Amino acid sequence: MMIDNVIHAAVVMTTPVLLAALGGLINRVGGLVNIGLDSMMLAGALFGLIVASMTGSWPVALLAAAAAGGVVGLAMSLAVTRLQANEIIVGLGFLVAVAGLVRFFLSSAYGSSGTLSLPDVARLPRIDIPFVADVPILGAILSGHDPLTWAAWAMVPITVWFLARTRLGLRLRAVGAAPQAARALGLNPLALRDLSTVYAGVMSGLAGAYLSIGVVGIFNEGITAGRGFIALAAFYFGRNRPWATATCALLFGFFDAFQIRMQGRGIPAELVQTLPYVMVIVVLTAVAVAGRRARARRP
Amino acid sequence: MSAQVLGSTSFERPRWLRILEPLGPLAAAFALAALVLFAAGHNPIDVYTLLAVEAFGSSRRIAATLSAATPLILTGLATAVAFRAGAFNVGVEGCIFVGGLAAATVGFTFVGLPAALLLPLALVAAVLVGSLWMLVPGLLKARLDVDEVVTTLMLNFIAISLTAWLVNGPLLAPGSANSATPMIADAARLPKLMPPSTLNAGFLIAIALLGLYALWGNRTALGFETRLAGMNARFAAASGINVPMLVIKMMLLSGAIGGLAGGIHALGNVGRFVAGFSPGYGFTGIAVALLGRGSALGIFLAALLFGALANAGATIQFFSDVPIEIVDILQGTVMVFAVAQLGWIFVRRRASA
Amino acid sequence: MQAAEEKPDPSIRLGARGVTRRFGPVLANDAIDFRARRGTVHAIVGGNGAGKSTLMRILQGVDRPDSGVILLDGAPASFAGPAEAFARGVGMVHQEFMLAPGLTLIENLILASEPADGFGRIDRAAALAKARELEALAGVSLDWDTPVEDAPVHVRQIVEILRLLYRGADVLILDEPTAVLAPAQVRELIALLRKLRDEGRTILFISHKLDEVLAVADEITVIRNGRVVDSLPRSSASREGLAEMMIGEVLARPEPRAATAGTPVLEVAGLSARDLRGHAALSGFDLTVRAGEIVGIAGVAGNGQDEIAASVTGLCRIDAGTIRLAGADIAGQTLAQRRSAGLAYLSPDRAAEGLCLAAPIAENAIAGHHRRPDLCSRGVLRRKAIARHVGDLLDRYSVKRASDRQPAGSLSGGNQQRVVVARELDGDPKLLVACQPTRGVDIRGIDFIHRCLLEYRDKGGAVLLVSEELEELVALSDRIVVVYGGRITGEVMRGSAGLEEIGRLMLGGRQG
Repeated sequence: MMIDNVIHAAVVMTTPVLLAALGGLINRVGGLVNIGLDSMMLAGALFGLIVASMTGSWPVALLAAAAAGGVVGLAMSLAVTRLQANEIIVGLGFLVAVAGLVRFFLSSAYGSSGTLSLPDVARLPRIDIPFVADVPILGAILSGHDPLTWAAWAMVPITVWFLARTRLGLRLRAVGAAPQAARALGLNPLALRDLSTVYAGVMSGLAGAYLSIGVVGIFNEGITAGRGFIALAAFYFGRNRPWATATCALLFGFFDAFQIRMQGRGIPAELVQTLPYVMVIVVLTAVAVAGRRARARRP
Repeated sequence: MSAQVLGSTSFERPRWLRILEPLGPLAAAFALAALVLFAAGHNPIDVYTLLAVEAFGSSRRIAATLSAATPLILTGLATAVAFRAGAFNVGVEGCIFVGGLAAATVGFTFVGLPAALLLPLALVAAVLVGSLWMLVPGLLKARLDVDEVVTTLMLNFIAISLTAWLVNGPLLAPGSANSATPMIADAARLPKLMPPSTLNAGFLIAIALLGLYALWGNRTALGFETRLAGMNARFAAASGINVPMLVIKMMLLSGAIGGLAGGIHALGNVGRFVAGFSPGYGFTGIAVALLGRGSALGIFLAALLFGALANAGATIQFFSDVPIEIVDILQGTVMVFAVAQLGWIFVRRRASA
Repeated sequence: MQAAEEKPDPSIRLGARGVTRRFGPVLANDAIDFRARRGTVHAIVGGNGAGKSTLMRILQGVDRPDSGVILLDGAPASFAGPAEAFARGVGMVHQEFMLAPGLTLIENLILASEPADGFGRIDRAAALAKARELEALAGVSLDWDTPVEDAPVHVRQIVEILRLLYRGADVLILDEPTAVLAPAQVRELIALLRKLRDEGRTILFISHKLDEVLAVADEITVIRNGRVVDSLPRSSASREGLAEMMIGEVLARPEPRAATAGTPVLEVAGLSARDLRGHAALSGFDLTVRAGEIVGIAGVAGNGQDEIAASVTGLCRIDAGTIRLAGADIAGQTLAQRRSAGLAYLSPDRAAEGLCLAAPIAENAIAGHHRRPDLCSRGVLRRKAIARHVGDLLDRYSVKRASDRQPAGSLSGGNQQRVVVARELDGDPKLLVACQPTRGVDIRGIDFIHRCLLEYRDKGGAVLLVSEELEELVALSDRIVVVYGGRITGEVMRGSAGLEEIGRLMLGGRQG
């Protein structure tokens, strides 16, 4: 039972990270390192909840969340591509500004400070699979999850396929790897980059909605708990490969579920929380060392 | 990701434009925030007037503003030092946490020591720990060319979680349920300058460092070398400057100042270390350094601006129904606009002519 | 509207009429005229700095002429950018290849013009069929799923050419295409180009390698100093004639100088080094430069001369060998240590390495000397002393400036280089490594810098001169060492050999 609980929680914790990481991955392939995923998650979480309460429909709520994230993504991308601003600073600026905007909106519109609880919120439904649900472990892996979790995992092979086999995927890779060459062939690197950032925003918006209408049912300003950065860690760690990125997201999901379980049992949750970030530094170092070795070996 | 952010390619523009340049992002940010205020049913001009009065209206208010600006001067300085060398350090926030915890730990552990000994000891601990915190990203960037943006960003989260663990376990105040260390000894407290205001000797330290920074940047060989390395690393290397070593040094210095910011915050304001110790001083420091264009005076003015906003933002709630978050919106948009090429339309037109 | 001065001649596929382009004081293209007929290989030859690259950029729509027009099918045309040039059938293979890393060869081939269905799915079968077709045309067989970074350089070049064909270009501009190829691959390339021409395509072949030009071209246009010297059919061109046109009126051989060279200042022995990409660039290289002597290094770009300079200055790591400066081994030293041992260095890349363009002239003029006791005491800069020193120095080298505080980037190229020379010769170095000392400098500046170098030598300085300007090497050097493929192919004393002999050695010929 305990194992089942951990597995189920891990899958739940993985979903938002996976969604945002797949968006960030596409963004990075297109040539923009998106530090601001967290801000797009926050926007998605808030608008997802509000629309879920207003309409009572979770699909409409997800659409609204995706749109909210996409709008933040577009604004951020335009600042980078059209105003030629440094993407890191813009990302950090968006984190601060969107967090402020969200809280400002909460207190202006709802008179609440940081938390929003609304009536009649349409929650994401859980899909229980008959028979499988009763199988130990397998049941926890496959059953009792919501559509967004299934969609997130479906997006992994779709992302692989998209990058490898579609016109847009190919162009995105070219634009990220060699913008000059792509421009010389008549492609528009800036527009493609904008598109990839909007996509990252949409995916992050969905990730945010997952947290607000999927997991908790209310919104608070700390709802993302830095998961946008965990997503960043995941696609850095996965080095832009969708399956590797998804594996990292799952690993981080397990850490998350594990540390919740372990609270008060001697294993400090705070230290478990640092693991994703430590791993990114280790990977970057390992890649750099390997690159140096490869250069030194050349005849 | 190269960090040609400070004073990059502006050399062809006339002097008056260069001086007015930082006002562009400010104006854009205030205009955007005005829109937000307007949309929420407030009169932006009234709000801004109220903010100004709350920030600078009396000597007591000015003291509070200066107190709020103190950590920002230091984090702005810490960021600028690294930027100047071409190292894009976004990890000052983490240094505040580890530095603050180090200073607080010294402050509540060696309670028997006299102030003349304990205070410097606590600050030195903050400086050392903050500096060590930047050793790994500095080495990785200088020796292996590992992107310092990502490593320092990640180290922020590691610092926050690590210190949270320490104050929850090993360093938790006995009998306390919340995540905080015991209060520091009175001898470890930075003296207040204008009681009851929280303005303390840390402000003087920050101002002194600003002065040293100005001298260092303009008058010393090391400052000269750092600037060259930041503007054009290849040229600096060809001139015989050891750029990787310089990057390591400046990352350590940046960490040291960041640690000091944490130490001063612990010893001057909070009196101990608590989880959630810094409300993002390190990130605001990036905005301060950018807006101040890396100059000592610019950093001071930018820190003053954000200090005033934070201070006034906290109190206008008592007099109006304007949410304090307008300050965050301003700060974030200033960051974005500070790096945006607002004059890009003119530049592009000239380039294509 | 002016009446057309000449009737459009559709047999002229691509050409230029009066194309002029000026960069500051440098006239890169001066009323260039040429006409490449459909179905021919038209070669444009000229030495380095003759203005070929500028012309190519204009023909590609990357740059625009100050005056004059491009001719397309005999009629004046203008391209908004490379994409438009492409759309009108004009494609270019760049010297540094424009393939996107991380993509496979076939992905690069089809990029921006992919065969796809309505959902944007790439039709891989169609792409591969097309690739095989082009492959057969080129008479090669490629593994199309190789990632670009794993493909050898000549394969990448072929893919670039095929990509132009794939996109429907019938004018192929090739900029120094053989620079990266081994001799056997050069022959293959030439065969491919002939084949493409025979199928009716027009090829613009830019090169300074006369043997290849004579092997492939139908018509040849020679440019020098931005001007067309002559356009002639292959049948009436000879190697000697072309060389003479490229180099200019045969210079008066410089006066032989009495050997005044003193003790060895620079002694390089058994030097092996790699280029930036990690490939071997120098092996077992020996060289000595004595006091009061200018030793020139001649070679076609990329034959190891950059690595010689970088090894001596310490900007690249060496694999083997010793480097002695005034008797002391400096091979393990940093550039800073070498500088304080008496090394000075004129960088070939003035904008990125020779100067910090954003910094004031004054700071550029003292960089590297800024810790000297007369300019700095205990780590603090002596500002008044520096201001005085800089003022004197810049006056001595007649740097035209409004203020010492103005950014170096606001100076003209010639004045920028004067600042560099002033700084490097300041403090009486023992050895000056001068790389492309007059690149992008106006005539008066060139003259001035040459006089500075000769004066420095006459005072007993040692100069290692690396230059792509043969005339400059011949005019200044007491001895010219010719390198090819990272080895010395010959050594020519001042006044003992002409440009022709040096040119032959540069192309790998042995000294007879």
